Parts: sequence; structure tokens; C-alpha cells
Amino acid sequence: MLQMQARSAVIYEELDVLPEVLVIGCGTEGAAVALAVSENQPVTVIDHDTPHDSLSLLKGKSNITVKTGVKVVGLEGFPGQFIVRFLENGKHAKKSFGAIIVALEAQPRFDTKKYNGLELGERILSLSQFSKKDNDYSGQKVTFILGQADQDSLISYKNALSMAIALQEKEADVSILYDDMKVSADQLEQDYELARARGVNFLKYKGDLQFIKTDVAATVRYWEPFLPQSEQIRLISDYLVLAEDYIPHPDTADLADALDVRTGPDGFFQEDNVHFLPIMSNREGIYFIGNCHGPIYSAELEKEVETVKAEVGRFATGKISVAALQPQVTAEQCAVCLTCYRCCPHHAIEIIHDESLNNMYHSAARMNPLACRRCGICAAECPGKAIQLPYYTDKEILQQLSKPPKIVAYACENSGTLAAELANKMEPELNAIIQIVPVPCSGKIDALYLLKALEQGADGVLIIACQKENCKFIRGNVRADQRKELVRKRLEEIGMEGDRIEIVHVAANQGHQFNESIRSMVARINQLGTYPGKVIR
Amino acid sequence: MIVVENKSTEDILKMIAPYKKVLIAGCYGCVTVCLAGGEKEVGLLASQIRMAREKEGNPIEVLEQTVERQCDKEYLDKFQDNVREVEAVVSLACGIGIQYLAQVCEPVPVYPGVNTQFLGANLDVGVWEEYCMACGECVLDKTGGICPVARCSKHLFNGPCGGSQDGKCEVDKSVECAWHLIYERLKALGQLDKMAEYIPVKNWHRNEGPRKLVKEDLTLE
Repeated sequence: MLQMQARSAVIYEELDVLPEVLVIGCGTEGAAVALAVSENQPVTVIDHDTPHDSLSLLKGKSNITVKTGVKVVGLEGFPGQFIVRFLENGKHAKKSFGAIIVALEAQPRFDTKKYNGLELGERILSLSQFSKKDNDYSGQKVTFILGQADQDSLISYKNALSMAIALQEKEADVSILYDDMKVSADQLEQDYELARARGVNFLKYKGDLQFIKTDVAATVRYWEPFLPQSEQIRLISDYLVLAEDYIPHPDTADLADALDVRTGPDGFFQEDNVHFLPIMSNREGIYFIGNCHGPIYSAELEKEVETVKAEVGRFATGKISVAALQPQVTAEQCAVCLTCYRCCPHHAIEIIHDESLNNMYHSAARMNPLACRRCGICAAECPGKAIQLPYYTDKEILQQLSKPPKIVAYACENSGTLAAELANKMEPELNAIIQIVPVPCSGKIDALYLLKALEQGADGVLIIACQKENCKFIRGNVRADQRKELVRKRLEEIGMEGDRIEIVHVAANQGHQFNESIRSMVARINQLGTYPGKVIR
Repeated sequence: MIVVENKSTEDILKMIAPYKKVLIAGCYGCVTVCLAGGEKEVGLLASQIRMAREKEGNPIEVLEQTVERQCDKEYLDKFQDNVREVEAVVSLACGIGIQYLAQVCEPVPVYPGVNTQFLGANLDVGVWEEYCMACGECVLDKTGGICPVARCSKHLFNGPCGGSQDGKCEVDKSVECAWHLIYERLKALGQLDKMAEYIPVKNWHRNEGPRKLVKEDLTLE
């Protein structure tokens, strides 16, 4: 009921946005997304390299502009009104776009180390080399090897299965040597069944492979996992086809820098974060598609294209209505110190100048409603207390502490409050002695909140944050960790026990761990006794 | 910007031990920007003081107020009402603000809540570095925009000492050698000939005492 009332009070702002979308990279994936998006709004596709084959797909389309030899070197502004800086054939240029889609394709790379130092050659080919050759393999023995490189990519499995089926039809003798057959995507299981039905040999191996190369054949020696035997099996083939690793497009690091978006495992775009949809970046209005965020399977690409199309489609009419729920800044208290600007994980803050702003600079920080994800990190960082997040103002949060019980737990709503709910169902008596104060992110927990909880009567304070490296707002839980340390020091400075403040990292489903943390905090508090610094009794 | 560091709360508690009611005075200028004396720090210190005194069984009332700048007396006037209420003030402004506030608060004593460190740049959140010593005779035109007075550990004026190694200073290996930086900058600017230009010795002797700047054509009446 309370929430419904709050929602009805939300003010919506109508903002002008640019419908045009920039797609960076015009390989097959860039072309696919450009074609889909161009049904709703204009698209410019750029590529640093010389034209790809897929360019022909985009030729003559009325809503699509293609430019090659263009490199992105900088970005300003916010979703709906990005200003992109380019180096266009050596010259600086800039243009505005509503949204940006990154489609730099990953590249296969053969790593000889993964194959015991085996070098590619006439009879030993990588999967991508083999796919480009149109030889006649009838009567020839071709063996695909999967599982040595690129453990997580379904692309190799898909490609190997399709090629095996085609070769078998052309009367080649095809084997697939695998350790685990990965078929966890649309159509892969069917391909696998079809390949078996057509007579492709599926041979399972375990452990290391050994290779012997001659001018006329290539032999691989392997251990069969199910047959008890003392000797390795020898498989002699005319051609060996080896799966490869995928590495990020060489422009990835530079582009990440220019767009100020984050990269993750193996240098691909997007960090490894359970809270992120596959297409999401740390910035609103910038999306990743396809292999730029790791080698993905083609069926997933189609879903990604649909999602991105819908996301950028919000800008198609040139107007967007957005709830004005971003943090509000009181100019009188804003020292334009840039702390919020630098701490914002979403690049949602700008410093605006306006004579009506009532401070000596006539300037203040402003949160962009389209770029802001409402984590409240800025509000917690502000040294002037100038920033307040609607529905989570300092006043609204501290009011909840009028008579705190033994333990106050500031809990992140992405994990902590959910774990607490679960925990409460498991052990209601244990949870009766804690007060949960919900915050949108543990990064919103101001150092002052921790001290105030003690000052106003609690004996201990918990920060319930998301698991490390899994903060929905990237660095909120890291800042919360730092603040715990800071407040512990400040308590010790005045002769109090620092460990009355504790941080717990839980996932939403870890009710049991939550209760364990409460139990150990209660034990600690019982040992420490009542907090002697309580001011309001 | 003037960069300051918070004094330990322990020291501040000693300064205000005799009092039962104090004001913590913050400043929205440099000390807010360097995360040491804005409204937030005022709140944190006030909370610490209240709790520490409560523990001693000697409760204290702590008022909190922050103004635009403590180095301008018009803003200091805003403290008037609160100052009349208290026995002492702790200022979180820089050394300038503390002194200026002390001047207008008489007979209420004003105590420092920070140690003023240097004039510096904010390199990143939580990182500051000294860039200027306010020497009064700028030579940045000759040194590629890098100050040898503030940034050379030995304040050398004509090239590095023998302790410059791999661009680092012998005084502290984490410090960049200012003259190495100057050389690289002048090279980038195509002004290496300036390295050979002799900069005469600086007169550090201050026979006129504390510096004062009066611009006659700007003063009122």
C-alpha cells in the first residue's frame, strides 16, 4: 500500500532523444543488428577495418549508413544524446546518437599449446581454416577434435557438427573426438542426433592427447574413458581438424577505453556479473551484442538482437517519458567537488552551470534520468550531503532508527533483503532482534548511517551486501567494505570496539548463511556487551 | 585547492574535554572537496564525540553547521547564533578558516579539527598531490609547467641532483623526480633549450613578515 502511494507520486519527464543508433563493427553480427534496428529507426554502422563480406547485406538500405575506416576515440553525453568522437580516415569528427551498440566480433585463435605443441599444416587444420576450404574429401578420413581449446564455447561444437554432417553426405569418413559433447543450445542436440544417424563416429577421450604427424596422415593417440585397457587408442586420419579458442577483437581494449565501458574475463566486453543481462554494459544506452562479450552461439545472437532492438526502440520516436527518480542535488550544499561524478559507476552525472543555482560556483552536479540506475552511491559519497535519492533520503533512512533493536542490518535490496526474508521464515525468533533497513545498494550505506545506528541505540551494525564481484552497480559492495573499515577505525579512535560493525556478503537465496551471520554477530555482541556510546536511550 | 587531513578524534576530544556544549564548524570550500571538512565529516565527527563522551559518563551537546567558506567574514556571520550557544568551536576548515573563525568567535575558543597539508591537485577520489608552495615568484614558464619548488624534494632550481634515477627521486622512490618530468615536458614542447637557461637563486628571506596583498585600485574608499 505504502509503495503504491509512493509510486503514484512519481513525476514523469518527457525528454528529447535522438532516434539514430550507432553500431560499431560491421561483421555478420553488426549487420544483423543493424538490419533489425533499422526497421524502427536510422542506423549508422561503422568499422575500423576495410569492408567485410557482410557489407553487401547493408548496401542500399534506406535507413542504414555504412562507414569504414572509422574509429571511435571518445564519448560524451548521455543516453538519447550521446556525442561520439571519431577518427575518420585520420581526421577528427563527431556526431550525436541516441544509443550505441557494440558488435566487434571475437576472433578464433589457434593455440598450439593446447595441442601439445602441434603445428597447423597441410593435414592439420584449425576449424576456421577447414571451414574455408572447399576440397573434395570423399573417401578421406577426417577427424574433428573438440574440448582441448575453447572449453566454454558452443560455436566450435556447432561448426564441427554442421561440417561433419556435410562431409559425411559427401562420403567422407568423419569422426568427432570429444571429451564432453556440449549440446546445450537450440538445434545442437538435433545436429548431434542427425550426425550420429548419418554415421559420424563419436569417440570420447579423457586427458591428454598425443599427436604423430607424417606426410600422408596424422595420428592422434587417446585414452578411452570407459574401456579398461593399458594402451592408448590410435586413430589415424587423413585430416585432423582442431577447435580453436576465441579472443576479443583487437580493438576491444581501445574501444572500452573510449566508451568508458568495462571489460571482463579474457578481455571481452562486460564483466562477469549475475545481475547483468547479456547485452548490458555498465552504462545505459550502450549495449553489447554477440561475440564481443564472449563467443556465443548463433541462436543466442538472435535473442540478443531482439532485446537490443527493443531497448533502442524506446528512442525511435524522438521522445521518451522517464520517471524522475534520479538523486536530487541541493545546489547550496554542492561544492562541485566531482566526488559523485568520479564514483558513479554508470557515468550518469554531469556538472551543470546555471545562474539560478544558489552557490558560489552557480554550478552543481546533476544526475541524468536516463543514465542513472538509482544505486545511490553518489549520495553516500557526497562530502556535502548535497545529494538525496528519492525514497531513500538520509532522513527517511535514519527515521527508521528511532528505537533500534540490538542489531541494525542495512541490507541491499538486490540480495540482503531477499536473503533476510528467507532467513526470517527459517528462524523467526533469531530474526526478531534485528532491524532490516533496506537500501538500493550496499554502496548507498553512508558511513554516517553506521555511526548513527550505534549512537541511537543499537549494539552492533551489519552491512548486508551482494557477493564480491557481483554488485549490480559494479562497485557498491566494494565501497561498503571500505566504509566498514573506515567506521571501525573511527570507533577504535574513540575507544570503542570496531567489530561492532560487520559486513556480510550473501546472495538472495542464502537465507541459511544470513542466519549464520546473525548468529555469529549476536554471539559477538553478547561478548562485547551493551554499546557504551548510546546517546538516545 | 588547499588540502587538509583530519586530526585524530582522540586529539580533538582532549581539546574539548572541559566543555559541555560545542559547535563543529564545517566549510563548503576546499575542505569539502578534499573530503575532510564538509557537512558529512561534521556529522561523523559530531557522532563520534557524542558517543565517546557518553561512554565516559560525561555527555556533551554537539551542534553542527557548515557554511560556504570560512575564509570570508560574511559567511562566518552565519555561525553567530550557534557560537553564542556553545563553550567552544571545532573548525574543520583549513588553517585560514580556523584562524579567521577564531578571530570572530572571541571570547569563545576555536580549535582545529584538521591539519592543513598543502596546495594540491585532486588526482583521483582520495588522492591529492602537492603542486604549488605559493612562493610568490612563479617560474613555470621556464620549467614546462612543472614546479621545481613544490615538486622537487630539494626545491632545486637548475636541473636535477645526482639522486635522480629512472625518473624517481632518491628521497622517496615513490616520488617522481620533478626535473626528470620537466626535461620530458620541455622535450615534448620542443623547448629543451630552456634547460640551459639559468634560474637565479630565490630570495626566501622575508623581511616584510607575513605577506599581504593590497590592490589599491580595487579597494573600497
